[in-house]
Amino acid sequence: MTAVPELHQPPFRRAVLAVNGGPSDARIVRVACQAARAAKAELVAVHVVEIDWSLPLEADVASRSEDAQQVLDAVEGIAETEHQGVETVLLQARDVGAALVDEASERGADMLIMGLPYRKRFGGDFAIGRTVPYVFSNAPCAVWVIREPISERPQG
Amino acid sequence: MIGGRRPLPGRKLADRRVRVERPHTPYFRYTGPDQLVAKQAASMPLTPAGRFVFRVRSLIFGRPLASAEEIGERLPKKKALAIFSSDAISSSAYATKEILRVLIVAGAAGALAYSIGVSVAIALLLTIVSFSYRQVCRAYPGGGGAYIVARQNLAPIFGLIAASALLIDYVMTVAVSTASAIQQIQSILPAAYDFRIEIAFVSISLITIGNLRGLRESGNIFAVPTYMFIFLALMIVIGGVARIVMGTAHALPPQPDAVPLGATEQLSIFLLLKAFAGGSVALTGVEAIANGVPAFKKPEATNAANTMITMAVVLGVIFIGITVVAHAFAIVPSVDNSGGPTVVALVAGTVFGQSPLFYLFQIATALILFLAANTSFNAFPRLAAILAEDGYMPRQFSFRGDRLAYSWGIVLLAAIAFGLLVLFNGDTHALIPLYSVGVFVCFTLSQSGMVKHWFVTREPGWWWRASVNAFGGVLTFVVLLVVTSVKFQNGAYLVIILIPILVAVMLFIQRQYSSSQRQLAIRPEFVALPPHREERVVIPIPGLTRAVIQAVNVGRSISTDLRAVYISEDPDEAAKMRKVWERQVPGVPLVVVESPYRALVGPLLAYLDVLDRAWPPNKPEPITFIVIPEYVARHWWERILYNQSAKRLRSILIGRPHTVVVSAPYRREEESRFDPAVPEGADEP
Repeated sequence: MTAVPELHQPPFRRAVLAVNGGPSDARIVRVACQAARAAKAELVAVHVVEIDWSLPLEADVASRSEDAQQVLDAVEGIAETEHQGVETVLLQARDVGAALVDEASERGADMLIMGLPYRKRFGGDFAIGRTVPYVFSNAPCAVWVIREPISERPQG
Repeated sequence: MIGGRRPLPGRKLADRRVRVERPHTPYFRYTGPDQLVAKQAASMPLTPAGRFVFRVRSLIFGRPLASAEEIGERLPKKKALAIFSSDAISSSAYATKEILRVLIVAGAAGALAYSIGVSVAIALLLTIVSFSYRQVCRAYPGGGGAYIVARQNLAPIFGLIAASALLIDYVMTVAVSTASAIQQIQSILPAAYDFRIEIAFVSISLITIGNLRGLRESGNIFAVPTYMFIFLALMIVIGGVARIVMGTAHALPPQPDAVPLGATEQLSIFLLLKAFAGGSVALTGVEAIANGVPAFKKPEATNAANTMITMAVVLGVIFIGITVVAHAFAIVPSVDNSGGPTVVALVAGTVFGQSPLFYLFQIATALILFLAANTSFNAFPRLAAILAEDGYMPRQFSFRGDRLAYSWGIVLLAAIAFGLLVLFNGDTHALIPLYSVGVFVCFTLSQSGMVKHWFVTREPGWWWRASVNAFGGVLTFVVLLVVTSVKFQNGAYLVIILIPILVAVMLFIQRQYSSSQRQLAIRPEFVALPPHREERVVIPIPGLTRAVIQAVNVGRSISTDLRAVYISEDPDEAAKMRKVWERQVPGVPLVVVESPYRALVGPLLAYLDVLDRAWPPNKPEPITFIVIPEYVARHWWERILYNQSAKRLRSILIGRPHTVVVSAPYRREEESRFDPAVPEGADEP
């Protein structure tokens, strides 16, 4: 992992960092930590557990799931190796994008950082899904999407 | 770990979200299913006094370090030379004096004529030992301390002898180096002599604190004084030899504190051997490089072996050079404990005069000697940890403290070394006889172990490698005999007594650990099933209090077969107690044991024995839970006032067969749960 060149580091004071336990988490946490350290900014890592409409929103899902806790604990661990403090927030919501935007808004974040994983199967593609477009359209602050590098030989 | 949930509104009604609390985050981190890693906060003290102590500790020793923060720095040869050689090279600061102070008794001619010959003989021994240790570096790239080499190749007992000698050697290094460093200071500041114990205390305390803080063998800290000493000592040797060659070297008049000249003893083989034994202290610390091979940069073994030769050359040149210059200027050592200048200071004076370089050299000498003490602070705790892991020392020695340092080993080393300095009044010469014996025991065992190693492995060139080690082993054994015999009366006997004692203690500890391990071991085929034995509860009560009610409720949660036991010396009081008990704690039988002899513990134990005997013999023995009510004191001084009987009872019952001792603590904070309007017995725990 190379440090982000200083000129390309977006300035921010408080950033919400969206993590989902996927393979791109480690990369975006490191990049965000390096940028935050340079700007002496705060980082809030948010993991949203999507709750199906068949369950009440307050259902005891995320608190009972060690997997959900582990996602944020892994973020803390990476941030610690980068010597950067990070606040972690675990949310349950019907829609991940809306929860991220609302959380960023409530916390007065001036940056929302997300990862964009690269799917290697079927010739390779970016899994944009619904969350990234929603955040692009609705976030009150700047959005920084960190794309996973494309491997040279996509695996079929 | 279940956290609370807090609903939060969204911008749209359907965008509501729930923030899930994460109660574990301040203290733990999940790393897998049912697997947690504790954070620093989990180890933080809970009481204000504990927090205060923690803050003071952090201020002195630094913040606690996580295991992952350990720095595994690999050393280049230049830094490694400075780190591992400070002990060996610094011994050149006092080795010449040890030769001269023996030979001086034979008069000026004796001292001056033979000191060079003795120093050359010691330098030859150094060459052979260094070549032998080169083999150790190559054969044990993982670090070949005498303990490991002797244990693996000879027998565990030889390993223990080597370990004991090494432990003594490390303690002596601290004591001798500190005492000698102080002597260098007093060469430029004579008033320091009166405060030598205080200076020793301060210097050992500083090194101890530094090591408890986790002071790594930082090359830069070591490099400056070590290279400054080497550079200035070589300047002295070159300058002195130049004056000898030019014919300007002349005998100096003896300083006021000099040993009076005049033969009190005839020059004999014994005296020469004694001088040789005294000067062989120059070889101390030579093995440090072989012990620290893994710390070198790759290729570790080759770099360590080459550094070993560089160190031997530097040490040999400085040692012989100082002796030659001392001889040329007819330098006479100062009387022990006189506070006079050291031989090395007098030699420096012949070249530097009273110039700033003289003072700089004295400071460099004092610093390298203090740093030599520090090498022991690295080696002793590590050896103690290895011995503890092998079961030969208490396990505490293998535990690393807050700063990843082996705190127990560091503190023990500091305490013993300072104790020795006080005992020997900070006198180097009095300490040195204890020093060399342990060193040569290690050399001999290590070299002998290496001979066996080569014979077993039969690596290419094993024959000549074994020959080098065999020669080194025989030679160091002969020197060991010489050193032991000539220094025996001066204190070497203490080491001869101490080594077997230490070995016996280590064997005793190992036997204890092996025995307990055997007793605690579980057979691989054993599967733990729920207990099938019946359980019963006995609650010894001092009266009827909230703490007793708490204990009764704890007992009820363990078994339905429970009873309280009240031991009283007054039958009337016992009757009153029974009345109150039956009214306020219904359903729990009270057994009153009258004790006319006023004993508390004896009658209770006897009652428990009677219960055991009354148990049907055809049924397996039950597990008896003794629930002891205890009042939790809020302040440290309250602890003296309460629970003394409970403590005594617990300590006596803890080893009783088929018995589990349970403490049922009652905290004053729980007062609110005992509403005066509600009968106490109705409370739930």
